[in-house]
Amino acid sequence: MIGTAMDLSEDDVIQIIKYLDESSFSELRLEIGGLKIVVIKRGSQAFIEEADSSAKTQPELTDHSGSLTAQDSPVPPTQPAAQDTPETPPDIEKEIVEDGRFSITSPMLGTFYKAPKPGEPPFVEVGAMVEQDATVCIIEVMKLFSTIKAERRGRIARICAEDGQLVEYRQVLFLLDPPTD
Amino acid sequence: MTPRISRVFVANRGEIAVRIIRACQELGIETVLAASEPDRDSLPAQMADRVVCIGPAPSVRSYLSVGTIVTAALGTGATAIHPGYGFLAEQPELAQACAENGLIFIGPKAEHIRTMGDKLAARKTVQELGVPVVPGSGLISDFAQVTPMSEEVGFPILLKAAAGGGGKGMKTVYRAEDLATAYGEAAAEARSAFGDDRLYMESFIPNARHIEVQILGDRFGNRVHLLERDCSVQRRYQKLVEEAPARVVSSEVRDQLCQAALRIAESIQYENAGTIEFILDQDKDQFYFLEMNTRIQVEHPVTEMITGVDLVLEQIRVANGDAISFSQQQVSATGHAIECRINAELPDADFRPSPGRITHWSPPEGAGIRVDTHCFAGYTVPPFYDSLLAKLIVIGDTRMEAIKRLQYALANFQVSGIDTTIPFLSSLVERGDFIAGQLNTRWLEEVVRAKGDNQV
Repeated sequence: MIGTAMDLSEDDVIQIIKYLDESSFSELRLEIGGLKIVVIKRGSQAFIEEADSSAKTQPELTDHSGSLTAQDSPVPPTQPAAQDTPETPPDIEKEIVEDGRFSITSPMLGTFYKAPKPGEPPFVEVGAMVEQDATVCIIEVMKLFSTIKAERRGRIARICAEDGQLVEYRQVLFLLDPPTD
Repeated sequence: MTPRISRVFVANRGEIAVRIIRACQELGIETVLAASEPDRDSLPAQMADRVVCIGPAPSVRSYLSVGTIVTAALGTGATAIHPGYGFLAEQPELAQACAENGLIFIGPKAEHIRTMGDKLAARKTVQELGVPVVPGSGLISDFAQVTPMSEEVGFPILLKAAAGGGGKGMKTVYRAEDLATAYGEAAAEARSAFGDDRLYMESFIPNARHIEVQILGDRFGNRVHLLERDCSVQRRYQKLVEEAPARVVSSEVRDQLCQAALRIAESIQYENAGTIEFILDQDKDQFYFLEMNTRIQVEHPVTEMITGVDLVLEQIRVANGDAISFSQQQVSATGHAIECRINAELPDADFRPSPGRITHWSPPEGAGIRVDTHCFAGYTVPPFYDSLLAKLIVIGDTRMEAIKRLQYALANFQVSGIDTTIPFLSSLVERGDFIAGQLNTRWLEEVVRAKGDNQV
């Protein structure tokens, strides 16, 4: 599966993150050749904190198996049990992994509305900076409307759900870039 | 079948979801499955054309959420919802929401569910038809009535929830001294389980058999019965072994039961599949109406085996607006079928649930053997739902042949990684009293108790 840094593909990285996400571990440090990846779990979503991609030097093929050190920290009781995310399309995962983005997922199944009412301007647009308590969308279940907040400061990078369409529980609705300041 | 139903939303999980999807596949109907988070990789999820994640593990936030289910069905272009059994199958709210949102509910009308869901009202309706009901009382409107009512009914009595059913929320009281405590507990349990703490009493029948009749109705006024099932092997009112036909019942009594069941279904113009449950007092040789279940039942396969009818298929046909595909005359029983419910439980530890990862799963195969399941090697049985792993059904020309086949099948049902009730069932069906068919609804608990005593 994972051999040398040359063999480490995008899919491998996504796989690593998935394994960490599903496990009870909270941190993974992987060193293969000159490549070092540190993945730390925050909340229920793993993301790359630090990737030393400058180590594109040729790894030695003869020796070296990747060394894997995982640190097992007790999962605090308030954290949900490790759950895998619903089918997140690979391009969204890629954006999370590669660009360090984070996502806003739907807390329920329902119909996604990007604006307060039809015809009104949407709550957020791509490029907008949102505060923690900003409303980003509405999810409707049988005439019951729930306002969804950003919960975290960031800049809207992508709107992943379609207005008026069904979204599933924990489906990715928005991708955001962490604030640069 | 002229299709009005093009896509079915399966609002259930486990083996019944597999069963429903199979029937849809046979009819060339697309399926969308509702799956809670832990069920997203389940067998029915792999079989369905599409899976929608409806919520987290807790049923109340997923399978029991009417709004979520209906929204998911509408949002995926489904034209019908099959509720399975349990969960929302007997909540009139789902049937009602379907009617209000242009979705076909694969089951009876909301009013049927409501009428028969109120156990007291159902008793009254049935009594007025001249069908005997289990001797008992009307609604206990306040605690002061409990003592005089119990004297009228006579001990031992069974306190039951008016909004209950499925063997839940019942308390047996043997002595007047225990009435007060039992009443308080029963009311609290009923309130917590059904949101309704109204209680009534029934005479507790010590030497009883549970005999039920399968019925089917369509919108053209056709109503048929598909004979009876004997579900007397129960533990805490949950069925474990079911048989069809009921050998203990004479052809006269069979006729009376089936006709009574039809009369009840007729009186409310019942549509789709349902079951009318009776208690047979073996001491008095008298049968009484117990309750009506307005859904497909877990044990429907034994009826399918002896009659050759595909009940779930008929449910979908009827919901689609078609007539039942056979006449009453065409209903006949060939052979004897027995079903065992196989649960992820450890009988030696008071049937403690045993969820976990199945490492080896090898069901028996062969002529006359049917296994309805959602399990497979590598599947992790989640701890959030009921413990049913599989239904093992056998058919033989005679009851003895069926039993032999059952013994063989259980001996060849290999499961590793979790505890199951297979070894327990294996020894149960070797017992002389089971083979002789000499039992009642208290039999299994007495066997379990005796085993427990022997182990001390």
